[in-house]
Amino acid sequence: MDIFLQQLVNGLTIGSLYALVALGYTMVYGVMKLINFAHGDLVALSSFVGLTVYTNMFADGGTSIVAVITVFMFTAAIIAVVGVLLERLAYRPLRTAPRLSAVVSALGAGLVIQNSIMLIWGPNMKIFPSDLFPSTIWDINGVVITFTQVMILGTSSILMIALYLFINRTKMGTAIRAVAIDQDAAKLMGINVNKIVMIIFVIGSALGAVAGLFIGIYYRGITFDMGWTYGLSAFVAAIIGGIGNIPGAMFGGLMLGLFNALISGYISSAWAETFTFMLLIIVLIFRPTGILGEKTAEKV
Amino acid sequence: MTKTNMIALGVLVVMGFIPFFADSAWLAVGTTFLVYSVVAFSQDIILGRAGAFHMGHAAFFGLGAYATAILNTQYGWPILATWAPAVIIPMVVALITISPIIHLRGDYLLVATIGLNIIFIQVLENDLFGITGGPNGIFGIDVVRAFGYEFMSQTNMYYMAFILLGITLFIMKTLDSSKFGRAMFYINKDDIAAQSMGINVRYYKLYAFAIGAGLAGAAGSMFAVQYSAVSPEAFNVLQSIMFFTIVLVGGSASLPGVLLGTIVMFVLPEVFREFAEARYLVFGLAMILTMILRPRGIWPVKFGDIPSFLKKGTK
Amino acid sequence: MRRILPNLAASVAVCALLVTAGSAADVIKIGVQAPITGKYANEGQSIDNGVRLVVDQINAKGGVLGKQLEVVTCDDEGAAQKAAICARRLVNENVLAVIGSYTSGATEAAQTTYYRNKTLQTSDGTSNSLTEHKYWTFFRNSFKNSDQATFTAKYLVNEKGYKKIVVLSDFSSYSTDLGDSVAKAIVAAGGNLIYQGKVKSGTQNFTAVLTKIKSMEPDAIYYSGYYTDGGLIRAQQQQLGIEADFIGGDSNDNPDFMKLAGSSAEGTLLINFPTPDFLPYDLAKDFIADYTAKYGIAPSSVWALMNIDGLRAIVHAVEMTKSEDTKVISDYLHTLRDFPGITGPVSFREDGERINTKFNVYEVQADNSYKIVNE
Repeated sequence: MDIFLQQLVNGLTIGSLYALVALGYTMVYGVMKLINFAHGDLVALSSFVGLTVYTNMFADGGTSIVAVITVFMFTAAIIAVVGVLLERLAYRPLRTAPRLSAVVSALGAGLVIQNSIMLIWGPNMKIFPSDLFPSTIWDINGVVITFTQVMILGTSSILMIALYLFINRTKMGTAIRAVAIDQDAAKLMGINVNKIVMIIFVIGSALGAVAGLFIGIYYRGITFDMGWTYGLSAFVAAIIGGIGNIPGAMFGGLMLGLFNALISGYISSAWAETFTFMLLIIVLIFRPTGILGEKTAEKV
Repeated sequence: MTKTNMIALGVLVVMGFIPFFADSAWLAVGTTFLVYSVVAFSQDIILGRAGAFHMGHAAFFGLGAYATAILNTQYGWPILATWAPAVIIPMVVALITISPIIHLRGDYLLVATIGLNIIFIQVLENDLFGITGGPNGIFGIDVVRAFGYEFMSQTNMYYMAFILLGITLFIMKTLDSSKFGRAMFYINKDDIAAQSMGINVRYYKLYAFAIGAGLAGAAGSMFAVQYSAVSPEAFNVLQSIMFFTIVLVGGSASLPGVLLGTIVMFVLPEVFREFAEARYLVFGLAMILTMILRPRGIWPVKFGDIPSFLKKGTK
Repeated sequence: MRRILPNLAASVAVCALLVTAGSAADVIKIGVQAPITGKYANEGQSIDNGVRLVVDQINAKGGVLGKQLEVVTCDDEGAAQKAAICARRLVNENVLAVIGSYTSGATEAAQTTYYRNKTLQTSDGTSNSLTEHKYWTFFRNSFKNSDQATFTAKYLVNEKGYKKIVVLSDFSSYSTDLGDSVAKAIVAAGGNLIYQGKVKSGTQNFTAVLTKIKSMEPDAIYYSGYYTDGGLIRAQQQQLGIEADFIGGDSNDNPDFMKLAGSSAEGTLLINFPTPDFLPYDLAKDFIADYTAKYGIAPSSVWALMNIDGLRAIVHAVEMTKSEDTKVISDYLHTLRDFPGITGPVSFREDGERINTKFNVYEVQADNSYKIVNE
């Protein structure tokens, strides 16, 4: 039983990270019907940026709360700016173009970001210092949970709840939901669509940045090409949970993390992605709007 | 024959004579170009003509390559005998796996095909049934032997690939002017309207997938012989993205466009190795810029809206 | 638009002509096929740097048979397909011999092409399968997995007396081969192998399989894969509270292992051929000094040095046979005995194996330095 609980802990941790990234995908897709293929690479970028920020600002390895929060905020800010630039340069000119053009542009943007990482930080793996968070470990009846895992679970939950409240309880959130339903009608209501899109990218990128930093801290080794597959898995999570809606992305992310951990633990980690995509295909065939998705009239 | 087609034919004739004055390093580049352009054309049949958002094409390429590799190294089949399975197996797999998802809307089909590609790669890497060779792949693939000769030199391979491209182009031209081609054209423009005219959209799209998969499989077989080794990373999602992009950036359903796209994506990096580091960066930028400036591709089909057989009566 | 195509065709033709005209006759080309980029980049770069250093030194002394040596490098990214592509490319460049690659997988993918085209190849790959075909073009400059396995099993079972051993490997041909050999050897030596499993290289997160292992309460975990994963496995093992010794096979021997493992690196045991610092030969000390002077850092590991010895042996063979015919050179190399090398005396057998290699067990200290703990 404690193996199962242990896998649960591990799975939820990984799942929280997927959820944070999936939120970025689902918000963009919900509003613009665009798969932001570059999002995963943005997350990778934030790992690298975060590492550089950390090593430059706290060269002697300070692990105070202030240090950590500063690194997170700085990185999130930088990545948010990159996200807005991405939207402005690669997506906005194609708002009225055929869908396929935007897809190609997104893929191209992803390549640009990925290779910029490689050119700036070099092609070798970079390693996060292991002392950003204290190495405290709690052992509860044989189930081990580390400080880092607690931080990940805690921070993601807070952020996700905050986002949910923002989208559903504030005026700005309502505006976002309006744009997601019908861009033109929203414009007629006086909503500045460009501004809303920018806000979505800021939020999505910032969340992605938090995820990227946690990925660096948790997995320790980061490579310039890790963003693409990670992002894809997160997008799959968003689809399974229900694309275009926030609880769907959260649920999808957590579920995917759990699913991955259980498959890896009980079958083999070599087949994890296969099962993930088989699950995706099954969901697409039988419940295309996702598990938490609303039944819409749109043909899938 | 239209002017663009004549120019393209001219290029092909030139390519036929290149072995007479190029050394083996350049012939290798040329062979790679030929093989990849066959795959690009097969992707074009599915994406450019039938309009299906397909980003898993490298899997069909890989199925053909691995079919040849496995049958040759594990079961001792001569290479020529593996060509039929290399074409048929991808076709069968395409029909089985795409049938349940062919009705999906664009983006969802896209992600589903990516998923199929990833599953394929995992099957290869995990050495299923012990025959796929794991992440290091399969090596020691034989060369083509016929009439007592070993077709081992680079020139031989070049011509084999050249013939394959010729066959591909012939198939495509035939398809275009057939019932299939016309149906594809209408489906691409508006598939709901096409359906209401009685065209069985599902049948034709699957047909396109099957032909595309078969051609890609043939190219895969050639690939395996050229390098004597195959391994999973030549057939991963990044490669599928490349093929997808070639068609869209070069120009959907455009013969010179796809050729140009293949040159840009696969040949130029070989030529400009010094910029190898920055090459994907340049690709990415090129992709974005092309879509913004020339959304129909660098060399789109001219007068694409009205097929030539309808223009006969007009002046 | 009309003008583009004729221009394109013309430039292709011109380029082709230029290239054919440009091939010089008074050099001997040496190929390097290595992972210059990718996860094993620091090993691949070391190999390339080392080869270029030696070639410069040889050229400064007048070259070989009166000709200068020229190095042609192809980056195989540590991947089998790229390796096959590199093989084609290097063969088309008419290189005499290829130094490469670092991983057995990349070496094996290229091997057949080199053999068919009579190009010599020397590699540090340790998979048993590399010499199975007995290609006369291939020379292994390191050791065989099964030799390392026998040594490892003896150490784990007899010397350390572990009671519950776990063997992990990844899916690459090298690691699977080594893992299987070690598992077999442990059983043959009478040891208790409680679990043999595989992990996927590059997944970063091994907590799933480690959790499974934890419940079996092992006292030793042996990992036969590469340092990029080994370091993380070690770190995560500590995190999960698994109190077992970690013993890494030869490919865990790399500075990045320590970095990834962080504080848990201390106490790790690594089994390998003598590492650069522990090589007692003057040639080694000189070479390491020259390398560090030219490149600012020391060579990444002993693997680069083994490949250099492969190069030096081939050059030596060319000089002794006064021939550029690769069959003649190969025949000479098969009879080579005790040629002074950086990594010890170099001798080759008829099947291309290097003979007389020895192993050490190193314990990683708190400052990441090594301490020999066997014999």
